[in-house]
Amino acid sequence: MTLYLLRRAGLLVVSLLAASVLIFLVLRLLPGDVAQTIGGIRATPAQVAAVRHDLGLDRPLAAQYGSWIGGVVTGDFGRSVLDGTSVSGQLAEKFAVTGPLAVGAIVLALAFAVPLGVLAAVRRDSRLGSAVNALGQLGIALPTLWVGLLLVVVFAVQVRWLPAQGFPVDGWDEPGQAVKSLVLPWLTLALAEGAVLLRFVRSAVLDVLHQDWLRTARAKGRTRTSALVRHGLRNAAVPVVSVLGLQIAALIAGAVVVEQVFVLPGVGQMLITDVGNRDLDKVQGEILLLTGAVLVIGFLVDLAHRLIDPRLRSAV
Amino acid sequence: MRRSTTLRLAATAVLAGLAATACGTGSADDPANAGQTSQAAEPAAIDSGATVDVRLVLEPTSLDIASTAGAALDQVLLDNIYQGLLTRDEDNKIRPSLATKYEESSDGLTYTFHLAEDATFHDGTKVTAADAVWSLQQVTAKGSKNPDAAALASVKSVSASDDHTVVVKLKHRDTGFTWGLTGRAGVVFEKGTDFSSLAGKENGTGPFKLSGWKRGSSITFVRNDAYWGTKAKVAKVVFHYIKDDNSANNAQQTGQTDIETAAQADLLQPFSDKSKYTVLRGDTTDKFTLALNNASGPTKDVRVRRAIRQAIDNAGLIKTLGGAAKEVGGPVPATDPGYEDLTSIDAYDPDSAKKLLKQAGYGDGLKLTVKIPNIYPTEIGDYLASELKQVGIQLTVRQVEFQTWLDAVYTKHDYQLSLVDHAEARDLYNFADPDYYFGYDNADVQKWYGEAQTASSDSQRDALLKKAARQVSEDAAADWLFVSQTLTVVRSGVTGVPRNFTSNRYSLADLAVAKK
Repeated sequence: MTLYLLRRAGLLVVSLLAASVLIFLVLRLLPGDVAQTIGGIRATPAQVAAVRHDLGLDRPLAAQYGSWIGGVVTGDFGRSVLDGTSVSGQLAEKFAVTGPLAVGAIVLALAFAVPLGVLAAVRRDSRLGSAVNALGQLGIALPTLWVGLLLVVVFAVQVRWLPAQGFPVDGWDEPGQAVKSLVLPWLTLALAEGAVLLRFVRSAVLDVLHQDWLRTARAKGRTRTSALVRHGLRNAAVPVVSVLGLQIAALIAGAVVVEQVFVLPGVGQMLITDVGNRDLDKVQGEILLLTGAVLVIGFLVDLAHRLIDPRLRSAV
Repeated sequence: MRRSTTLRLAATAVLAGLAATACGTGSADDPANAGQTSQAAEPAAIDSGATVDVRLVLEPTSLDIASTAGAALDQVLLDNIYQGLLTRDEDNKIRPSLATKYEESSDGLTYTFHLAEDATFHDGTKVTAADAVWSLQQVTAKGSKNPDAAALASVKSVSASDDHTVVVKLKHRDTGFTWGLTGRAGVVFEKGTDFSSLAGKENGTGPFKLSGWKRGSSITFVRNDAYWGTKAKVAKVVFHYIKDDNSANNAQQTGQTDIETAAQADLLQPFSDKSKYTVLRGDTTDKFTLALNNASGPTKDVRVRRAIRQAIDNAGLIKTLGGAAKEVGGPVPATDPGYEDLTSIDAYDPDSAKKLLKQAGYGDGLKLTVKIPNIYPTEIGDYLASELKQVGIQLTVRQVEFQTWLDAVYTKHDYQLSLVDHAEARDLYNFADPDYYFGYDNADVQKWYGEAQTASSDSQRDALLKKAARQVSEDAAADWLFVSQTLTVVRSGVTGVPRNFTSNRYSLADLAVAKK
């Protein structure tokens, strides 16, 4: 296990380093730069060039990369050239919105996807099973944006139970308002993510249902439900956890759309704005930290596999 | 990532239809006439502890108004937080601000400004002439990075004759000098301020102080109780940055905001109850300018440029966009000096356009590309393509990010046609500068514009500007599709709301809320 952990940790560092080079170079392919954002459409070319020089944007790329990665190694992920805020500070502030948004959505998605998925598998030949399955298909087909807009129209504009958009100015200092602001985004995201999970849970449970060991368990006197709960779910969980890991990464992308629809000041919105302003020092720090988070999630998923399935533990 | 991008594309189409059911279009009132130009008088009893929530569109990229360009900074910071020696009113007339009065010498070369004697910065320091002199010198200094430095290019020297008197000497007469001082070039900072420290905070002299900036969402101002002039009538103002028009509409409809600026003309149905809402219609200097590359490509030929202008029915475009705009026909909007109605020059005439194209050698058709930043309504590009198609021009519309536009079109002049909103007031100088991205080079226009700058009277200046503007339009240096008007939805009980030029400045000095 220790050897395994060391290998995985080493792989993580190498992946992050490769990611940092890629992030840095790809962002430099974008036309325009932050000096032009600062100068706008009235500054003379000489003024813009002077700003560029002050910011060190006219230095060779290798030198620019070097000073960035040097900071990262010491824990300094960089600052916004425009407003001087630190990447880690801003990410923390925006994660106060995106974090609860993503976690809440995943919990909600699991809460309906697991029972419904099992139900759809067990009752696959009944009308109920087909109906649940059809609902899952519909959930995948519906565009997130459209669902979000529909929820706003009904619950915010018509019956006015929930705010139409935005997050309280004082954030989580107004917990009631903050939660209210997230209800519709949670539903929107959970529907999209949950529908995908539901299908995987269904097919995983279907696989398990035909296994010999489940028949054996029943032959030993267990009821179908008890056999499924004691033995079946744990086995079905292995592929579902893999998908869940991928879904959490996809959730960050999904959050971008939902943050736009509900005008939430989260990570996705911040990235779009920062790329638009070409505040690349900030963008590269943000993306590197997000990449790190995704890689760590992948690592944790692997660990979870090993805990669920003892057969994997012997493999290095 | 795949999921989100495809969804965004797919849902764009759905958006319009859904918005229609959500908010209702097709009002019985013609949207083209929506909005009024007057608002209720300030009520007798006002709630001086009120908070007003205002929807704005574009968030500033920084609060450092001395170094960072962008109308979004001017909009909230000028007049409210920072003050110049002079300012502009709702009709773009020059008015006193930190300088309570000023004199101009008879030769027009010396201006003497008298500062308010009891003005203080928000940190409590008194405002003196030394601060004003230092601030102006930062703008006029060689190598100044102030994006508005050109506004004070005629300044020869700035000095203080006593603690509250500033004397500015000019190199030559400059009819634009006092106007220049109303913008950010005229802002008075505390002497010795390190501008880079102002990116996220402020030390102004205005009636409001910055209380917080939640990046990506809102900026909050609170009343400056130590203000030297007439104090603000509300305690707090929160600017909410909401780009999407439907979201902004929902926010106003559900009471999340009290004022919705830049409302869409075709989404006004929920606000038709006049006892609950007032819709204000205001002027802007937003000239939606179809730039025609004068320096290279097929549009170098004036016949092609004129044909393009004649092929586009501007009135039809305005109707398509909901009606909140006016035709202009030239580079000067009605609220700027030098305006005259030029809409008869190269008016809509597709047959004549075809003839001009034939004369220019494009009788068999012409392929052109227009670059449009993706922040503008996509209908404009579609409309242009269909209009030009009728005269045999196949127009490819390329939506680009604004930064890409800045890089390709503005900086490298790599374009055939381009569309951008030139929002600035009094910006005819762009057609007097052959190096500007328009590439328009006419010695007469440059001469007239220069003479207008040094004219000895406003009437002489206006006559010269008119002559220049007419020439620019006759040369089809660009096509001015329309000048926008701006609609503001106001909850009843809120008065003193800015109506004109709201995307350039948003003075909160008169804003008041009735006591319940």
